This record gives sequence, C-alpha cells and structure tokens, in this order.
Amino acid sequence: MFKLDRKLIIPATITMAVLFAAGCGGANTTTGSANEVSKSDISGGVYYPIIGNKTGPYNVNTQALGMKINNGRVPTANELAAWDKDVMPDGTGLPEGEGSVEDGEELYEAKCIACHGDFGSGGGGYPSLSKGNGEELKATLTNNRYRDPEADGPTRVFGSYWPQISTMWWYIRDGMPHPMSKTLTDDQVYSLTAYMLNINEIEIDGEEVDDEYVLTREKMLKVKMPNRDGFEPNIDGKNALNDVRVYFANPANFGAQKVKPSERCMTDCQDKSAKVVRIENGGISEFNPPYNSAKDLPADEVKAALNVKEVYANNCAMCHDNGVAPTVGDPDWSRLTSKGMEAVYANGISGTDAGMPPKGGSSLSDADFKTVVDYVINGK
Amino acid sequence: MDNKKSQKDLEVSSRRDFFKRTAAIGVTALAGTSLAASQDDPAIMHHVPWGQTWGDPITKNLYGMPSKYEHNVTRRYTKLLASGNYRASIAVTPIQDSMGIITPNGLFFSRSHGGVAHVDPNEYRLMIHGLLEKPIVLTLDELKRYPSVTRTHFIECPANGGQEWRGPQFNSLQFAKGFMASAEWTGVYLKTILEDLGLKPEAQWMLAEGSDNSEMGRSVPIDKVLDDAMIVWGQNGEALRPEQGYPVRLLLPGWEGNLMVKWLKRLDFAAEPWYAKEETSKYTALKPSGKAIQHFYANEVNSTVTSPSPEIPWTSLKDGDVVEIQGLAWSGMGTITGVDLSFDGGNNYVEAELKGLVLPKSWTRWSYMHTYKKGEKLLLTSRAMDDAGYIQPTIDQETLVMGVESVYHRNAVETWEVTATGEVNHVQIRS
Repeated sequence: MFKLDRKLIIPATITMAVLFAAGCGGANTTTGSANEVSKSDISGGVYYPIIGNKTGPYNVNTQALGMKINNGRVPTANELAAWDKDVMPDGTGLPEGEGSVEDGEELYEAKCIACHGDFGSGGGGYPSLSKGNGEELKATLTNNRYRDPEADGPTRVFGSYWPQISTMWWYIRDGMPHPMSKTLTDDQVYSLTAYMLNINEIEIDGEEVDDEYVLTREKMLKVKMPNRDGFEPNIDGKNALNDVRVYFANPANFGAQKVKPSERCMTDCQDKSAKVVRIENGGISEFNPPYNSAKDLPADEVKAALNVKEVYANNCAMCHDNGVAPTVGDPDWSRLTSKGMEAVYANGISGTDAGMPPKGGSSLSDADFKTVVDYVINGK
Repeated sequence: MDNKKSQKDLEVSSRRDFFKRTAAIGVTALAGTSLAASQDDPAIMHHVPWGQTWGDPITKNLYGMPSKYEHNVTRRYTKLLASGNYRASIAVTPIQDSMGIITPNGLFFSRSHGGVAHVDPNEYRLMIHGLLEKPIVLTLDELKRYPSVTRTHFIECPANGGQEWRGPQFNSLQFAKGFMASAEWTGVYLKTILEDLGLKPEAQWMLAEGSDNSEMGRSVPIDKVLDDAMIVWGQNGEALRPEQGYPVRLLLPGWEGNLMVKWLKRLDFAAEPWYAKEETSKYTALKPSGKAIQHFYANEVNSTVTSPSPEIPWTSLKDGDVVEIQGLAWSGMGTITGVDLSFDGGNNYVEAELKGLVLPKSWTRWSYMHTYKKGEKLLLTSRAMDDAGYIQPTIDQETLVMGVESVYHRNAVETWEVTATGEVNHVQIRS
C-alpha cells in the first residue's frame, strides 16, 4: 500500500514540480539497499516516502498521519508584531527611519570598534566589515590559492560579497552589539548601515554615500550590492524551488561524484602525478585542552581539598548518626580517646570487630582519614 | 594485494575449524615468547584499593558522570576558531574516542553564533505563522503533546574539514573531522503540525529563527519542511542539552548543522527566501568562477578512518598482530551502501565491511581486519558510497569544480599515513 505523505498539505502544482524535477534529474538510483524507493529530494539526496507503515527502516505511527491536532492558540496581533520583525530584501519588515553616516561613525566608534577594528578592518577573530571599495574587491572572488600560500585569496566582506543590504540592517538590529543585542533604535541601525555603505564605498543610485549622507528606508531599498548576482542556484521568484532542484540534480555543479557501484574504480585509480602532501610548518596544533589519551585522575582531583563533612555524610553518618556508633562530638568518645588518639586512629584505619569498616569504607589516605576522625570526635 | 589476503586468511575458518584453531593457538601461546610473562602482574597479585573499601553510596552523583579516569575525553577548541570571545565559535567532538553511532550528549560538538543560551522552559514559546490559514503559539507542553517521532541522525557543520582545502592542517582526527556528532532525536514532524495550520499554496519558504542573542535564522525550502523536517526536544533519551538548543531545535536530517536552528522561537512561511546573515555572508561556497553556491543543503557522502588515527597510533603493535581498522561513514543524502579502503592512498581499494545499524542520514560504522607487519608503511584512505548514487570524490576531482576557497562541504577522501614506527599522520594525496 503506497501512501504519499505529502498529500493534503502540499498544493497540486508543487507536487507536480517535485515529480517533474525528480524525473528530469535522472537521480532515481536504486542500489538494492533496504530503502526500496529512491527519488531525488531538493538537495540531490534520496527521498524516502512512507510505504505501508515505514519510511526507510523506521516504522511510522500511521494513526497520526493526516490528523488535525489543535494544540496551542492563535497569537494576538501584538504578539505577532513583537516577533514578526524579520527584514526581507523587498522591504517587507523594514521600518521607516533614518540615520546619517556621521552618526553611524560616532556610534561605530563607541560600540563596535573594539571588536571590528578601525573602519571595519576586523581583528582578534572578529569579522572584517570592509577592506575598501566593495565593487573593486569583488574582482578578488575569483582568486584561488591552489599551490601558492603567498597568493592573495578572495576578500569576502560585506561590500565585496554580501548580496543584499537588508541582511546587514536586520543583523545589526537583532544581533549587534554582540554582548548586548537588540538595544539599538531603528534610527541607530540606519546610521550604522549608512556607515557600512560608506566604508565599503557603495553608491546608491550613482550617488556616493559620503559623510553627510542620510540613509532612509526608501534609499536603502535602492541599494544594489556589488555581488548581488554572485550566487547560484537562483532562489528568487516563482521558479526558485525548481531551479534549486535542477541545480542539485547535477553533481557537476557542486563537486560531487556519482557512479554505479559496479563501475567504481578499485585498482590503479590514481593519476600518475598524484603525490603525498604533508602538513606544513607544523600545521595547527593549538588545541584546548591539549590532546592527551592518558586514563588518569584529573589534576584537580589529585589535589582536591578534603571535604570532611561530605566524607562523613557519605561514609560515616549511616552508623554514627543512627545510634549504632557515637555521633559527631558525642561525650561518649572520651571513653576511647582516654586510651590515646593513636589507638583511635589505628582502630579507625584497620577497622574493628564491633563493625567499624576500615577507614569507614572510604578510600582516603591515612592522613586525611585522621582529619575525619578528629571531626567525628571533636565536632570540628 | 597482501592486505586482501590477510582478510581472506581470517575468513577461511568455518565453525568446525574453530576448536582445532583454538587448540593450535593455545600451543603457540605457551611456546611463544611474546605471550609468556617473566613476572607476575601486580594488578593481579595485589588487592586493588577499590576491592577492599566501600564504593560511593548511590546517593552520590544522582546525575551520573563518566569515570574520573576518562577526563581526557572531552570536546576541544582552538584559537583559530575563537570568534566572538568563543561565543561565535565551535568546540569539536572527540570522534577518535567515539563508539557506535551515538555521541554522548556531553561530547556533542557545540557551535553557537552568540553563545550558548539558557532558555527557561516555562517561558518558552514557539510561534508558527506567515502564509498559513491559522497561525499558532505553542508552549513547550503543548508542543510535546504532538505525536512524537524518534530517529537517529548525525548533525554536521558544513565546515567539517573546511580548514584543509589547500592542504592538510590538523594532525588530529578530532579537529579534521570532529565538527559533527550523532544522536537519537525525539520530536514531531513539522508536517504533522502543518496539517492543522493549513499551508497556503504560495508558501514556498520557511524562516526558522532562534531566540538566542544572535537571533540565528535560516530559510528552508518547503520540500524539506514537508519531507522529514522535525522540531525536536529529545536527545539520546533526555532533554536537549543547552548546547543543542534546549528546549527545542529544528532538525533537518542530513543537512547543514547551521540550518537546524537552536533555541527555536519562530517559524515563518513566505513566498520568497529571507537572505539571513548565515545564508549570505557565511555558509556559501565560493567556486573558482567567482560565483558562490548559496542554499547548499545536504552534507555529501563522507567517511574517515577512526582507528588508527593521529590520536590512536599503531606504535604499540607487534609484528603479526591482528588489528581492526575502524571507521565512520555518513551521508546527508541517503543511506551508506558501502565503504572501500585503500592501503596506498587511493590507488587500489578493497571492500570494507559495514557494521551494526545502517540507517538513512546516519553515521554508519565500518571495519576491515588487518594483520600488521612491523615496519610497514601505509597510506590509509577510505571512500564511502550512498544509495543516492554518490561516491566520495578524490581531492583532485573535488577541487577541479570547487577550487580551494569554498570553505564548506568538503567531502573528498582523506588519508592517514602510517609510518614505519606506527605513528599516524594526516596527509593528502593530490596532483
């Protein structure tokens, strides 16, 4: 019995598109695994439909399929407005407001410079926000340091790489400053965004974003980032999902390899020019904690201070607090201590026929155990 | 190949031969110098401290801890990946010490973009809205009332191995491949919740947003939402750890760990994707053409030898010792169908054997029995295949398409060099 688990909730048009994409992707590989039917999913992987009551090797609670379960409640308008604040490239969610480059720079120097450096230069493991003119630096994106470690790599900063400015506005408001996020006003976010455009030398409608520039919602929506067209597959518009499916149906697009198992290379597979490449200059070996395979006691355990009360509670209390033996500070102890403390210690360490286990069953050193005995007798 | 022979030798024994062989080995053992001890072992001859005193009362460690002697088995971090004072950073899983296909919760790799948030479950709310007939808000209890599903999946940071596009960097399995871990997850299929909410036809993308200080968000295509996407609250039989998004995270089996938003707060459905920070500035793979792959979803088929490894060398092996070469294979695109092992860096391969459960989008164990020859030099390379039809590329094949600057989704075969003294080094074989 074949039951398609996408029924009801997925519109017919999309279902058609899924089937079409799987068909033209040519990815219907069945290699005899336990999971019988394979159909390409959007990422180029296998889609495991529910067949009978199983998806792949997992049993499915078929009673739960297609059932409407009315949990939760509808959010209020205010609740929706409080949380639905994401900002999309077309301006959805972007509030009105304005901010100048000048204010942005002042704010940057007060709240951002400690981590992101002068003019967004980065440092200390924090991301660079600018390396100069975004449009010019875009040309570095074809740099590849194949064999030359001295060569310049690609520069992937806001100005040269990010496809949309809405991302910057949204992230500054919700994620920055890192240790105290969501504390900036919308106008402050506009100011900082303006400053980002300024240090990356990005123009708006042919106009330079200079120190006097005041960024508004309307102007921000006119920004076309230099690398707007630098990404694949297409994810915009009505055909986006199908474009993605088609893209990942072709392994050549993303460096993957497909092969029939029976045709994979088993002997003499390597190019003659292949050679062993080793780690250079020691590689990266600064690990915390340093690697150690020893099965020993941790350092702090070895010299851990003796917690007398804890030892007593765990080892002694069940007899000494229950009338089986004298309790902490009991005057009755004088009967034994009158014979000398050494005798008391010795009895404690080796145990007695009266029922005292050696060292009370603890694994303490003799010296530590004596400290515990002192506590039991004197109460301190 | 010699190594193929050694495997065959081990396989010839039928059950009938077992007792004969055991008898023969017994004689060898008695006569052989290697097994004859010259002195009695004090660990046997003396009473051990834990055998003569009480152990801990059951009142101690009411949430159990590993043996104190296992304290070196931990996550590790490095300054190289220290962004944001270790708040936008990663601590990686000691996969050299991993057993089976489940990672203990305390060793599960930890990656965050604004630090590990500590969410009060009483104040936890999940809002699901956008292009739906009915938006909802759920408390944690209401969420858990949905019919639950339990599945085993790895989660892998797509930057696993990403430091090594231009050459080997980490002489360490933990850092070369430990940006991943695996667990048995419990939660609800997103499609089960959506049955009730009525997805509108134009809803093609879903924004998943976290409640942490970075408000980490990603766009997810509707295909995945309606396939196996889950909202999970259980990890290996207990609540999610804070590092894994307590109390609730998104789980997209097989896909980039970054997409599986932690401390999940909101799911919004729309006709267009969002261009969130972690799907534009990062998690995009730059190709030599200058174009970058965005919305790169599934982690491709991959594998590694876990033993031996730089952390587990063969320095103590003696000539003729029989040793199990062990490894992991995994694919975010399907189920592992086979693993091949090479002793010469990928020129010639033999078939390894899969072990234990073989599940979709899950870690899969494999092994190969080897008879060690003292002084032998090997280049151990593993290569996995999945039921989507993919096989791991060579480094040359992968860099031909992706170049060496793409950071993410590196799944070319990896090689350990075993030296004449049994040390193990991370190397690469490339033209």
